[in-house]
Amino acid sequence: MPSTRGSFSGVVGEDGVQYSFAMEYSGPPVTFDIPKAVPIDVETIPVASVVAQVSLSDKLSLPVVQPILPLDNRSKMFSKELKLLGCEPTVSPTSVIDGHECVSKEITLGSEASVSPHSVTAFESGVTDNQDCVLSGELCRLGALEFSNGRYGSSELLEMVNVCQSRSSISHGNSHELVGGAGSSGMFEFSEGIGKSGELFGSSCELRASTDFGKENLDANISNPPDWASSESVLSLDRRSSEVSSFRSANGKNLSTSDFKRPVVTFRGVDTDSSVNEESSIFEAKNSGFQKEPYNEAKKGKGGSCYRCSKGNRFTEKEVCIVCDAKYCSNCVLRAMGSMPEGRKCVSCIGFPIDESKRGNLGKCSRLLKRLLNQLEIQQIMKAEKLCEANQLPPEYILVNGKPLSHEELVILHSCPNPPKKLKPGNYWYDKVSGFWGKEGQKPSQIISPHLSVGGPINADASNGNTQVYINGREITKVELRMLQLVGVQCAGNPHFWVNDDGSYQEEGQKNTRGYLWGKAGAKLVCALLSLPIPSKSANSCGEQVHNLDARAVPDYLGQRTLQKLLLVGHYGSGTSTIFKQAKILYKATPFSYEERENIKLKIQSNLYNYLGILLEGREHFEEETLADMRSNQSSDESSAAITSLSPLMTQGATDGNFAKTIYSIGPRLKSFSDWLLKAMALGNLDAIFPAATREYAPVIEDLWNNAAIQVTYSRRNELKMLPTVASYFLERAADILRTDYEPSDVDILYAEGVTSSNGLISMEFSFAQPEPDDSISTADQHDSLLRYQLVRVPARGLGENCKWLEMFEDVRMVIFCVALSDYDQFCIDGNGPPMNKMLLSRRFFESIITHPTFDQMDFLLILNKFDLFEEKIEDIPLSLCEWFDDFHPVTSRHRSNGNSSNINSNPTLGQVAFHYIAVKFKRLYSSLTGRKLFVSSVRGLEPTSVDSALKYAREILKWDEERINFTLSEYSIYSTEASSFSQ
Amino acid sequence: MANKEMSVAELREKHMAAAETVNSLRERLRQKRLILLDTDVAGYARAQGRSAVTFGPTDLVCCRTLQGHTGKVYSLDWTPERNRIVSASQDGRLIIWNALTSQKTHAIKLPCAWVMTCAFSPNGHSVASGGLDSVCSIFNLNSPADKDGNLPVSRMLSGHKGYVSCCQYVPEEDTHLITSSGDQTCVLWDITTGLRASVFGGEFQSGHTADVLSVSISGMNSRMFVSGSCDTTARLWDTRVASRAVHTFHGHEGDVNAVKFFPDGNRFGTGSNDGTCRLFDIRTGHQLQVYQQQHGENEASQVTSIAFSISGRLLFAGYSNGDCYVWDTLLARVVLNLGSVQNSHENRVSCLGLSADGSALCTGSWDTNLKIWAFGGHRTVI
Repeated sequence: MPSTRGSFSGVVGEDGVQYSFAMEYSGPPVTFDIPKAVPIDVETIPVASVVAQVSLSDKLSLPVVQPILPLDNRSKMFSKELKLLGCEPTVSPTSVIDGHECVSKEITLGSEASVSPHSVTAFESGVTDNQDCVLSGELCRLGALEFSNGRYGSSELLEMVNVCQSRSSISHGNSHELVGGAGSSGMFEFSEGIGKSGELFGSSCELRASTDFGKENLDANISNPPDWASSESVLSLDRRSSEVSSFRSANGKNLSTSDFKRPVVTFRGVDTDSSVNEESSIFEAKNSGFQKEPYNEAKKGKGGSCYRCSKGNRFTEKEVCIVCDAKYCSNCVLRAMGSMPEGRKCVSCIGFPIDESKRGNLGKCSRLLKRLLNQLEIQQIMKAEKLCEANQLPPEYILVNGKPLSHEELVILHSCPNPPKKLKPGNYWYDKVSGFWGKEGQKPSQIISPHLSVGGPINADASNGNTQVYINGREITKVELRMLQLVGVQCAGNPHFWVNDDGSYQEEGQKNTRGYLWGKAGAKLVCALLSLPIPSKSANSCGEQVHNLDARAVPDYLGQRTLQKLLLVGHYGSGTSTIFKQAKILYKATPFSYEERENIKLKIQSNLYNYLGILLEGREHFEEETLADMRSNQSSDESSAAITSLSPLMTQGATDGNFAKTIYSIGPRLKSFSDWLLKAMALGNLDAIFPAATREYAPVIEDLWNNAAIQVTYSRRNELKMLPTVASYFLERAADILRTDYEPSDVDILYAEGVTSSNGLISMEFSFAQPEPDDSISTADQHDSLLRYQLVRVPARGLGENCKWLEMFEDVRMVIFCVALSDYDQFCIDGNGPPMNKMLLSRRFFESIITHPTFDQMDFLLILNKFDLFEEKIEDIPLSLCEWFDDFHPVTSRHRSNGNSSNINSNPTLGQVAFHYIAVKFKRLYSSLTGRKLFVSSVRGLEPTSVDSALKYAREILKWDEERINFTLSEYSIYSTEASSFSQ
Repeated sequence: MANKEMSVAELREKHMAAAETVNSLRERLRQKRLILLDTDVAGYARAQGRSAVTFGPTDLVCCRTLQGHTGKVYSLDWTPERNRIVSASQDGRLIIWNALTSQKTHAIKLPCAWVMTCAFSPNGHSVASGGLDSVCSIFNLNSPADKDGNLPVSRMLSGHKGYVSCCQYVPEEDTHLITSSGDQTCVLWDITTGLRASVFGGEFQSGHTADVLSVSISGMNSRMFVSGSCDTTARLWDTRVASRAVHTFHGHEGDVNAVKFFPDGNRFGTGSNDGTCRLFDIRTGHQLQVYQQQHGENEASQVTSIAFSISGRLLFAGYSNGDCYVWDTLLARVVLNLGSVQNSHENRVSCLGLSADGSALCTGSWDTNLKIWAFGGHRTVI
């Protein structure tokens, strides 16, 4: 425990946290001081009389008065006494004055002879200057009084502290009695003296002294005035408050008002090695030592008037700022703290870390607030107080195996399936193999998730055991040994055990498992009896842990920090939704819930009806056409035998024009179905009636699909403009899909249209961590899994220069722009103009997105999608069909050699060459508009690996982005070109 | 085949000709209106010798700052009677505030973080929000939170084909809500069934021809509402006649970002990307007044949101540069700029609204804060 404090606080010092405290702290007290300082001088007289009375009645002051005269001797004597034997509480009142002396001795760590005179003289000078020693005596007494209140045990150390206290109060007495102008000089002198003494024994002493000093000041300042309202005290109040602030700024730490000093002393005892950081560590130790104190004070209203309205006294109820300790009365608290977005902080303190001593009070509401606000409001405040990022435990305050944690490590610790309970600042040991967790120097307190990469390696003396029995390199404590013996583990011969997280143990150097700790019937009972931890249920199922990666709750403030947003945009039909679905299937344990799958199934089925409808419509059209042709043939040359190019398909010559049967004709049953379906489609209510209809019409569909007329129509599907290319995938399995027990496969879902809503934005969170069956997760992976990505797909509609909502995405890390390669021969009607090439539309869209002010300096990844389709298509249809690509001449060898060095070994296909050509086109366009580099990747949206590698490439770019500064420009460009072709 | 192609071309030609005619008629209408519009409100008021309202720097003061959002605030709404505010922010949360204590009472995590609008129901028991997910979500504030402490969505109003840009409950009716959307339509919803009661505009070319950005329902006659759109027009609708707009108001030269009915229900104000606010009369269809600050050479910043004081004498307008002007509607003069007083917002003022009794103004900004401004001193609410 002591060592915990000492070294832990040393760490804090290194970080200079306390400096910020100082800065912010100087605010409130100053505003408070200035108005008050002047009036107090005026009011001194009336206040004085009251105080004297109070103090008298408060204490049986006889001992105090006596010692004042024989100051020097007594004090010296007394201090010696003090040092030798632990003083009883009864002594303390008398000891007050001597205390001063004594302290100096303490400070010098016992070498009274040389140093103490120094400080004593300083003090004495102060005393002699001042006329009424009585007062100083009083003051001293008060200090002592306080001490006796605040202390519970009487140990030597405590007594010494007590003495320190009284000493400092004396010095205050001096200082304010010298108010004339040199009031503070005495005090400073004094501290100087201490400083000198401190020189001899390391700065720690000096610091301690000054700390006490400051603390005492504050104490007197805030909590005492009502008690002893003598003129001096009031004066001192003013003085001190300024002094306090100077101390604060000097020490860079908020000195709490408590006079509970044990931690200081323990610190001194322990912290002999780290003398450099002591200044701050004192404060830290202290703060963590007396968490309850300030709060109680506030409750008791000891703190004097409200910081804002300066009204009220210590008895009025007040709320305390958890950062700067400012106190506000019920009238002012809402004004001073505003809407409390981070809990009970002054408006000016918002965003600053809290006073560690108040951590225990986070989320605990005071009566004052309960009176002012309703239940819901209080809930929100307390929630904010506990959960907001600024109030979280700074990671460096927690040491695991002697190493302060980094932010990531703390996140790991917090987000593991079985985190340590009630993590407080301090020093812990952690056995990574078995998951044992405990405070430094103590037996294990809990079994947390094993194999977390936090902290350093465990030390043998981590739990301060002396049994010579080791578990995973840690010497275990007696209690543990006892437990082992009780559950029947052979511990003779001081064995070294390896204990795994599942409780299996083996002796060091031996392969075979000796048994399972928790397998024994009474093991858990024994542990409970010896208050040793037992593994929690979830800890045993390692496989589950990894699985729950998605589900486990990462606190909001952590989630926000580790979330990287990727924006996926693309023109209509560029395959963004396929990529989104693919990512879902790739990275989600359950990509689609049962409900979603049901919806998808319905969607696929209704799509299929739509495709069928289009086919049937086409059939009617073809039938009419054929009949019309037939009629025209008949009229042109009356011969029924005349056969036109189309008529060979006729199965039966229709001699009269009314009843003609063509190859496209269908029977009456199918005809009626066809009519019904087409009517439903025309009315647009297919979606409304279709689920009910599936059962009824399922057999019809099968007949329909097998019908020759439909097959013939299907063979002419290229002429049906409305029928999407994916339709054939589903139509060919129509009968299967329309069964009621049909379950869409992942591939079906990928192919299906309209599964992801094309109307609105959709997003998914994922991480790249692969579920690994064995529990040996490498460190890198674990860090990786913390990095969460959010893929956000937005509809292309309305995205343009004037887009109102694109500015909502200024926080995305990267824009992934999707272009379908196979679009180069496609045309669509844009607005009222003539049909435009879809590739050119994509280009226009691309230009408007990359030049949008929101995406200034944004990284862009261009995904050239549908590479598979493109490869097929380019063999038949020249790329130059799109005017943007009219200078593509793949036959010349120039392109091949220019192409890419990575492809030189294998003869690149036409598709690859064309892809490179298009990629370069886009890259040039991009750099001409933005002057930066475009990342390009080719993707086959339907292939999982292809999408996976593209998204991992995106991750690499982001990582690279963070490290970019370290590389030279040339390296950078090499990297990017190579990477851009890496996924083909 | 060829015949058909011809007919398509023919039709297109006819359509073009018709569009041409419409445009020329529209132009004639505009000319005619200009002739009729020989004066504006300010001109008349000046002629009558009226003087502008005077505002000292302390007459309207920031008395509360509502901190708690961690993202840009996009929208806010007051409850009709009690002093509560709902605000929507890019941090993906709706927060319900008690305006008097400036404390939060609810923080609702939204299923889709990209939220654009929020509204309080007339009875104050539920809130609605909408955004880029194209769904308007209703939350019942009295329903119990789930295990993560989040309030569940009690109703999803889905059917829009574009983002939901604005929503407002029909006054006095907790079951009806009007939304505007990026799919160029406005929709009247029946919340109990979750279905669309009427769709205004859209497929038939009678409505807006671009994204609709805001709606405002008349306080006097809840069957009438106006909508403002990226097509630079505002349209007046009657909820009983969904097929066509009652009136289309031209005049703005940029997207109409905000519309708000005048308290008397016979006029409405608009705020636009062109930097102006305008006042239109719904009975005559005339534009009554333009509120435009004469800037120097630099471009005027866009109006993001507007609100009228309870009497209509003041028009509060938030601008994209962080200004927030208080206009005297009668004299068309800026009487106060809330962006230049102490404690003003540090970023775009994205939304503003007046409390039901008119005693306080709440502004929301991209600096993540909301501020409540109240009439200070002995100035009476106007």
